[in-house]
Amino acid sequence: MVTQEEIEHVSKLMKIEIDDHREYVDKVKKMIGYFDVLDSAGVESEEISMPEIQISSLREDRYIPFSDKLIEKLNHYKGTYVRAPKMSS
Amino acid sequence: MNLRISALDYVQGVKNGNVSAEDFVASTLERISDIDERLHAFLSVNDDAVDQARSIDKKVKSGDKVGACFGMPISIKDNICIKNSKTTCASKMLENFIAPYDATVITKLRNQDAVFVGKVNLDEFAMGLSTEFSAFGPSKNPWNTEYVPGGSSGGSAVSVSAFECIASLGSDTGGSVRNPASFCSTVGYKPTYGLISRYGLISYANSIEQIGPLTRTVKDAAFMLNIIAGLDENDNTTVDSKNTDYLSGIDSGIEGKRIGIIKEMIGEGIDSRVLSATKDAISKLESLGAICEEVSLDMVKYSVAAYYTITATEAGSNLARYDNIRYGYDFTVEGYEFNSYISKARRNFGPEVKRRMMIGGFVPSAGHAGKYFLKALKVKSKLTKEVNEAFKRFDLLISPTVPILPFRIGEKIDDPISLFLVDINTVTANLTGKPAISVPFAIANGLPIGIQLMADSMNDKLLLQAAFALESTITLPEVPT
Repeated sequence: MVTQEEIEHVSKLMKIEIDDHREYVDKVKKMIGYFDVLDSAGVESEEISMPEIQISSLREDRYIPFSDKLIEKLNHYKGTYVRAPKMSS
Repeated sequence: MNLRISALDYVQGVKNGNVSAEDFVASTLERISDIDERLHAFLSVNDDAVDQARSIDKKVKSGDKVGACFGMPISIKDNICIKNSKTTCASKMLENFIAPYDATVITKLRNQDAVFVGKVNLDEFAMGLSTEFSAFGPSKNPWNTEYVPGGSSGGSAVSVSAFECIASLGSDTGGSVRNPASFCSTVGYKPTYGLISRYGLISYANSIEQIGPLTRTVKDAAFMLNIIAGLDENDNTTVDSKNTDYLSGIDSGIEGKRIGIIKEMIGEGIDSRVLSATKDAISKLESLGAICEEVSLDMVKYSVAAYYTITATEAGSNLARYDNIRYGYDFTVEGYEFNSYISKARRNFGPEVKRRMMIGGFVPSAGHAGKYFLKALKVKSKLTKEVNEAFKRFDLLISPTVPILPFRIGEKIDDPISLFLVDINTVTANLTGKPAISVPFAIANGLPIGIQLMADSMNDKLLLQAAFALESTITLPEVPT
């Protein structure tokens, strides 16, 4: 069973601030609790299959110019740089 | 102007000179203006649509080459980018985001002279199945406005069902095209994974989501697929459609086809009226010469848990980009430390998105991945094996699209588990990459019921033929709006 502390910890890691703490924690707990049904699926020995794509089938790794200057569309673009909040020391 | 026509009838009408694209699009916009305040399908409307339609009429009159859509008015789910238009994902986070490029599906439709009449509502970032999680308010079911239209492509289904456009594009991650199609009595098509490019679709769960058309008829869905399917160098997951013409031979019938009735999708929790409609659909297919037999897919019981585990994990990663520096709204950086700034910016996500991001951080994390995420991937693998085995015995699989009737707005919003279970019949096609379609089949208590057919990968043509056969067995009333 997932605990309230674990949910609070993960919300910090995901950088999500919540006001109505209890409501969020209860619902998330309920949702994760439902996933416990996976324990009875009996898939422990199952291999995880992943689609395989040959490298030769991938797009060539080259720069594709874009017509617009996307950086200029950013909210905090300052002409020669993008202003970001300061990093904590 | 009769707006209640199919895409193919519209195209024929404009070609023959019996219908003016300009008049049709103008009447469509009038209808949106008249009824959309009540239905709330649209988040934005294209003010240039009539001018664009007029230019198509000119091309027709002057004998110039005209694209296959002939100015057909189409609505687009607001998580698909149209260059220089707002693409909000029904989120406050992207309320003012202007897309800098066209999605591949938009380019393809534009090249065929489609007219985009507007962007339509969805659950925020396509996370939901009722459109109630839109940051801009829910859409309403045109069959009864006290009921949800389904989701997450609810705006798409409402706009097609209520004659606010001829066709729409939605996206389907766990049933988000088929579920609202079923709830609003339209056709909803999820193609084989990779058949339609996702370039320009704002990512939610890349490994399973697909763009798909919502239309009035199965033939219209095939028509749309002919235009938008195929390889795209901007999406390495696309597969070659080999220029398949999905419309030709759509009336080939289903005599001798073997259809598996998925036992786990007609059992516990199914509404008796939905079950009765499903049995009726099976009888009708049998009367057309199909051979129907029950088949068991044991992993379906675990599919919803696997689906939410996988999609939340991918969403947690995909939504990390919304930090208010690359994407976001106008909110100053002055005076903030980096982490607290991002946390504050993310307050603009709605509650369901926040919940799924929290789950998406938890289920793949160290110490929990084995119990949740890896197990979900194993269920996905085993389910795919089961479905592949089933397709050795059967050409098609059948179930109701949704096991219940549309529900009242607000009825399930506080009960996440009961909402989860609405997805039980649709997520299998996404987890296994198979094509699936919802065909409108019945009306019970004034609310629509859709039947889902599924085929093996790349058997989209066969699937459309079967759907056409099923559609041909019934005549349904039109939406009462």
